[in-house]
Amino acid sequence: MKTRLPFRIISYAALAIGALFILGPLYLALSIALRTRDETTSNFFAPPTRLYLDNFSTVINKANFWGMLQNSAFITIISLLFMLIAIPMVSYAISRNMNKLYFKWVYTIILMGIFVPFQAIMLPIYRHMGNLELLNQTGLIMMYVTLSFSQGLFLGVGFLKNIPLELDQASKIDGCGVWYTFSRIIYPLMLPIIATILILNSLWIWNDFQLPLIMLNRHPDFWTLPLFIYNFKTETSFDYNLAFAAFSLSMAPIAILYVFTQKYIIGGLTEGSIK
Amino acid sequence: MNIRGLKPGTVFFMMTLPAVLLYCLFFLAPVFIGFYYSLTNWDGFSLSYDMVGFQNYIDILQDKRFLNGLSFTLLYTVIVVFGKLSVALVLALLLSRPLKLRGLFRSIYFFPAVLSMITVGLMFNQFFYSLFPPIGEKLGIEWLSLNLLGNPDTAILGIALTNIWQGFAIPMVIFIAGLSNVPKDIIEAAVIDGASPVQRFFSITIPYLIPMLTVNVVLAVKGGLTVFDYIVAMTNGGPSKSTESMGFLIYQHGMSEMKFGYGTAEAIYVFILIGVLSFIQIKLLARKEVGQQ
Repeated sequence: MKTRLPFRIISYAALAIGALFILGPLYLALSIALRTRDETTSNFFAPPTRLYLDNFSTVINKANFWGMLQNSAFITIISLLFMLIAIPMVSYAISRNMNKLYFKWVYTIILMGIFVPFQAIMLPIYRHMGNLELLNQTGLIMMYVTLSFSQGLFLGVGFLKNIPLELDQASKIDGCGVWYTFSRIIYPLMLPIIATILILNSLWIWNDFQLPLIMLNRHPDFWTLPLFIYNFKTETSFDYNLAFAAFSLSMAPIAILYVFTQKYIIGGLTEGSIK
Repeated sequence: MNIRGLKPGTVFFMMTLPAVLLYCLFFLAPVFIGFYYSLTNWDGFSLSYDMVGFQNYIDILQDKRFLNGLSFTLLYTVIVVFGKLSVALVLALLLSRPLKLRGLFRSIYFFPAVLSMITVGLMFNQFFYSLFPPIGEKLGIEWLSLNLLGNPDTAILGIALTNIWQGFAIPMVIFIAGLSNVPKDIIEAAVIDGASPVQRFFSITIPYLIPMLTVNVVLAVKGGLTVFDYIVAMTNGGPSKSTESMGFLIYQHGMSEMKFGYGTAEAIYVFILIGVLSFIQIKLLARKEVGQQ
């Protein structure tokens, strides 16, 4: 079926208007960030007349932007490393032992975590982690890994149902132990679902505001980008050119990543939510 | 057979240990600790506190601020679910047509979904306060020239609009995935039988979209009921406490108003509300899927 010309024109027009609504605010943010305060009041929509980068350099130099970027990257990467080992491992152990009481219980109890919204445990986490002296980056990473198990196990065990048991048996007959079978045969086969888990969790951790707010807000040295941008805005609420420079900078890393990996990001997020 | 001489059962058990230990220590423990503190009147920093039984739970049900927060959260959820899903459905239908540039449009539309809510919230807060009003005045559009966030009656709309701007993309691609499942031959047969586009949409497309619709509703409801980042970024609960969501109230009580025990009791209510709602929705979804086979 080919779409008729008038339909095509109407469709494109509607899509273009939609795109304007999405890109407009982003364009405005960048355009305000590139101006001085006096220039802003005249006309927001006109492209900046000159390349004024002082707002950006102020954010980078005075507000320790690089430090926050490093914190965010460090926390995201280390959490993901732990997740990408622990989730496939426990998923495999459970999926091959569903008939045993212990594994069944572990599965059920961890899955029930899906129904517990973060806000229900927000205050006790603060208290508990404070008692354990873990209101720091180590504690934050442990929390991220822990909170990823419910969804991770759901996706991992679901995926492993489609990997035939004959593979395990064949490898057992060949004399491979459980760990060898897992690490050399099963893990590589799990890569598609591991990629989904990676995408879902990296975006979540990178963008998360609530856990860092609860756990790190009193230690500016530990701040992640979302926490930095929140505190930066509070401190400089009157200089909005500067604020928009900070917004633009904090959106830049993920925007660059998005340009190159959007296919995988869209796919991973969709798959993670449909299942 | 095994090099290290361990039984397979032992190895499997050891493979669950990291998850089990972390989960007990950092998830189950806080859940129980939360319930324990909900039975106390602890303020969050004193050395002593009393057990008060279920007093917090009783007080909360008579607390105007909590009930206002609850009704704000429910109304907000309804607005955002409808807003997000209708925008998502319209764009998904457009993007499912055989258009050359649809890949490009999909990429553009999806971009806000990868940004952090706190950044988007802060950005739109600035827009609402210092950008939209002058633009509205210039163009002579009255509702745009007023600051939506500055008025207790309209602040909810300002937050919801921001949420829809950022949040329609994921339901949109889920709808697109659902639309690609509609069998082409059924549509072609309907065209031959003389069914109008409207008839085709309601009798063929919509039934095929139901599973995706359910997923989207479940996700959007949960997102609406747990709204927090936008509130902190855009209104901080104001003006005159009109936009205090449940999550925001828990945070306020526990972290800055020295009512830690009270806050954890509110959290238990939120847990029950959201837990029961998502459980029902997922049960319904599971039944639909079975029915399809």
